[in-house]
This record gives sequence, structure tokens and C-alpha cells, in this order.
Amino acid sequence: MKDKLTVMMLSWEFPPRVIGGISPHIYFLSKALSKQDVNVYVITCDFPGAPAHENIDGVEVYRIDSYKNPSPDFATWVYLMNMNMQKETAALTRKIADKIDLFHAHDWLVANAGIGLKHVFRKPLLVTMHSTEMGRRDGLHTTAEKMIHETEAWLTYEAWKVICCSNYMIGHVKYAFGLPSDKLVMVPNGVNINCYEDLDADLQDFRSKFALAEEKIVLFVGRLVYEKGVHILINAVPKILSKVNAKFIIVGSGYMKEQLLNIVRSMGLEHKVLFEGFLDEATLLKLQKCADVSVVPSLFEPFGIVALEAMAAQSPVVASDTGGLSEIIEHEVTGVKVYPNNPDSLAWGVTKVLQDDGYAKRLRDSAYRRVQDRYDWEKIAQQTKRIYEGVLGEYSKSFWA
Amino acid sequence: MRVIIFSWEYPPRVVGQLSGYVNSLSDQLAADKVEVNVVTYDDHSTSLTQEPSGVKTARVTNPVKTHIGVLTWVLTLNQEVERAAANIFYDSNKQVDLIDVYDWHFIPAAVTLKNGLGIPFVFSVETIEDHRSPNSNTSYNMAIKSIEWLGFYEAKSVSVKSEWMRDEIERIYKVPKEKITVISTKPDSWIKEVQKLYNSVSETKKNER
Repeated sequence: MKDKLTVMMLSWEFPPRVIGGISPHIYFLSKALSKQDVNVYVITCDFPGAPAHENIDGVEVYRIDSYKNPSPDFATWVYLMNMNMQKETAALTRKIADKIDLFHAHDWLVANAGIGLKHVFRKPLLVTMHSTEMGRRDGLHTTAEKMIHETEAWLTYEAWKVICCSNYMIGHVKYAFGLPSDKLVMVPNGVNINCYEDLDADLQDFRSKFALAEEKIVLFVGRLVYEKGVHILINAVPKILSKVNAKFIIVGSGYMKEQLLNIVRSMGLEHKVLFEGFLDEATLLKLQKCADVSVVPSLFEPFGIVALEAMAAQSPVVASDTGGLSEIIEHEVTGVKVYPNNPDSLAWGVTKVLQDDGYAKRLRDSAYRRVQDRYDWEKIAQQTKRIYEGVLGEYSKSFWA
Repeated sequence: MRVIIFSWEYPPRVVGQLSGYVNSLSDQLAADKVEVNVVTYDDHSTSLTQEPSGVKTARVTNPVKTHIGVLTWVLTLNQEVERAAANIFYDSNKQVDLIDVYDWHFIPAAVTLKNGLGIPFVFSVETIEDHRSPNSNTSYNMAIKSIEWLGFYEAKSVSVKSEWMRDEIERIYKVPKEKITVISTKPDSWIKEVQKLYNSVSETKKNER
């Protein structure tokens, strides 16, 4: 029996290919697992300029031909890409014979490949469901959406364990696919704490580009779309300004931008609310570090990574009490929870943090500790490894072993 | 010799001529003491069966019922084909000599099984997309053609029923002629020719070990 556990991670995105949250998730999880003495192979789609094979801090990354001919539509491309991914992963798995212990798939985008490989090699399959079609579309309306939903159901059926990033998602996935409770495991998403260190040097200088010394900085980071609730924050701006002098910085873009700009103009507050659009990562990290309060007013939020980032940056968080945010924030301990879709409640929370420096300091300190002991990638990798070991223990008693 | 035959039609499911052909082929092979497993598609009778001829069948259904097209339907069904074939492989102590794949539908499964488990396959061609849909180069047709191309590329050998088809495959897909075997339709010799082809594929597999 070999001593090292070996996992083959399947994902349609991995840096430098970044489409959504799965890419950084796999990047940090794989590296952290490697530190926990797990052999990690990542199979992912190719990307212009990225090598077909590389080793990143112990993680073996293979980028496969992701099917380049024109495809009739996105979903058909996904299945065609899976055909290629499966072929190349099968060849690789055979080459490193007897080394793979389990396959770990992320979302329906690699469902076919994960399921096929499970049966061809008779190794357990795990899946992390980062999101669902039902949640993304708020129901199932078209044939394509139903097909994707059924593919997700099939993937969770074939998986030995289904990992979700919040208890909210556990409940949602359990309901969406009718899964038994003992098949579901919660492992939170992680946040990279280290990237906020060593930013202090020129922070005062940096801050003065955005706000006057006497102004507090209120930060929103997110897409400017309805579900993120940025309009609730805009509505709360005059209420907050009547109590505290502050600058509101809005980072991100989306279809609501013009509408939000108009509201701000009509209130005559253009000098107080800055729309920054997309920012480069270095600037964003510094802004999060400078923010006197970070606001997450979402109406729907499966996880709420932006709240965790603020906590890691040691910026006090005011978030709406919904979805994954409800779990991340402990009210008046690691942040302030406010009523969703309620500008008065939001204004109350923001004002309270900005007016009481001692209170703000307590929140940021305990939030930072919470991030360290619950959302650190090292801890998450340890939890993930324990799940792998548990599955392999059960597998060893099955007739496949 | 143990052979797995992939065909998307097999009695009682009859779409075109292929169903009847695969039926008589598998019966003849079984009569000649070849161990034959047919993996095919059916929505209703999905249990494993053994025909009176000795042919074993595994009928699989699609785990995803709602589809936007034939391509998505085929590409999800392939995982079930793989599962059935992998079960035959492991249940027979990994002794499968080859897979004979009829038309493009289950080529993805055959390609994965070849690359993952080292089982060579023969791509047996009844018809090709270029003939079924002449002059159509939509992304949909191109995807089917690319699956056919993958099959020609990955197959150990290609079998056809006429010299005309052999020339067409050479012309359209640039497959070398030596890779294509023409199986005659003569009642007294066709089954021997099929077995000869199987033997040559299975021999090269043994030599590669």
C-alpha cells in the first residue's frame, strides 16, 4: 500500500483561465492539499499561452484540448469538452497506473468526465457543488436548464459524497436533488489571508486618492446587479451621511450601473459616491484594507466570499442576513447583520460601525480570528483530506476495492 | 476470444438496417464460440440478459431525460455505455480482446476505454455524416464529423461493407487505405472475414503487451 493519497481534480477552469469562483477555489485548495501531503493532479481546459503541463507548488496541472470546433451552443460544448477531458484523463490515469485513489469533480461542467472515469477505473467520485442551475436561474424554465439540472442530479447521484460550501447550499442541494443527508458534507470556501499582509507601507497615500482624511470609507465590491442589492446601499447613503461624514466607493460593474448613477445624481451626491468599475487586484486589496466598513447588501447569496475577504483584510463587515452570509457573520461578533432589502436597517448597521471605533475594532479583531480558524485554506484542506480518507475507508470494504 | 459490440440499435429496438445486422453478426459469432457482449440502448428493459444464442446483452438508458439535441443525448448516454463495458471488463478478469463499434454514437466511450483500459477497438462504418447530411457544415454536423474523425484516428482498424465506402473514407477523412478492411457481404464468407479482422486486432494487442 502506497503511503500518499492521490486525487485527480477535474475543473473547467484553473488560473490563468478564470471565469468564476471555481478557478481560485481549485487553485488554493490544490496547493493547500499538496501541503497536507496529498498528491494532486488538476485536469482543466487549455488557455492561450498557458502550458499543457506544469507543476505549481507540487500540484500537477494538465490542460486539455477543450474542443475548438464551433459548437451549436454552450451546453453542447460542455459535453464535447468532457469527451476530450475524459479521453486525456483516462490516458493519463493509465500511465500513472494504480496511483489515483479518487476523482474529485467541480460542478456539472465536468459531470460526464467524472462519472465516466469513476466507472472505467472503479474509483470513488466526489463532487463539490458550487452552485446549481436552479439557483442560478431562479427555477428551471427552458429545456437547456432542465437538462443541466438533470445532469447535476446525475452527478450528485453518482458521487460518493457531495461537498457544499455553506449550510445554506447543503439545504438547497438536498432539496434540489432529493439527496440523503449523510451524503452531504459542508466544507466552507476559503480565503487567502496572506495577500493582505505587507500592504501597510503606503496605505495613507493610497487612501488619500479616494477620500479626505475626515471621511470614512464605505466599500461595496460586487457585480452591479439586482441580487447583489447595491441599490439598497445607494438608498441608504443620505441616511448614513446625516450622521457620519463618509465616502462611498462602489467597485464592480453590471447592468444597473446607469440607473444607480442617475439615483446618485438626482440626490446631488456625486461627490460622495464613486463608481470605480473593475479594479486591478492590487488596488482592490488595498481598498479592502483601507475600508472603514465593507457592505454586503445581497438579496441572494449562496456563499458570500466578498464578506470573507473583508474579514481577512480586517475591515468591519455589515451584511444582509441571507444565504451563506448568515453563517459567515455572527451578529455583533464578527460583523453586523441587517435586514435584507431594508435601507434603514443597513444605514443603522453602517452608522453604528462608523460612529464607534471601539466597536469597529472588536468586530474586525474577532472577524480576523474567525477567518483564521474557520476559513483558512490549510484548515479546509485538512477537512477535505479527512473526507477523502473517510470515503477511501468505506471504499476499501466495497467489492470495487 | 471475448468481444464487446457497441450499437445504438439492437432488437427489439430497430431504427434502420444496423439492428438486424448486429443481431445476425452477434449470433453467428456466438455460434463460432466467440464470447459476445452487446452493449446497446433501450429505455425500458435495462437488465442484463443472455439470448438463446449465448449472446449477452447490456441495455443502458440515458440518465438525463431532457435534451436539447441528439449530440447532448448521445454524449451523456456514452457514460452509461462505458459503465456497462467496464463491468464486463472487470467481471471477466480484464479479459476483453476488443470492442467493435457500429457508427459514431458510442465512439466517445470506445475512445475512453481504449485510453483508460487498453482495449483496442474496430470502428465499423454503416454510414457517415457526410453522406447522411450532404453539404451541411453547421456546427452540429461538424461536431458529429469530429467524433467520426476521432473514431477513425483512435481505432485500431476500420471495417466497411464496400470498396466504395473505403474510398469515401479515404477521400473525406484521409484515413490510410491499409487501416480499412472491406468485409464482403457473401453469406458463406462474411463471418470468417469479421473473425479474421478481430484476430488481427487482438494479435496486435497481445504483441503490444
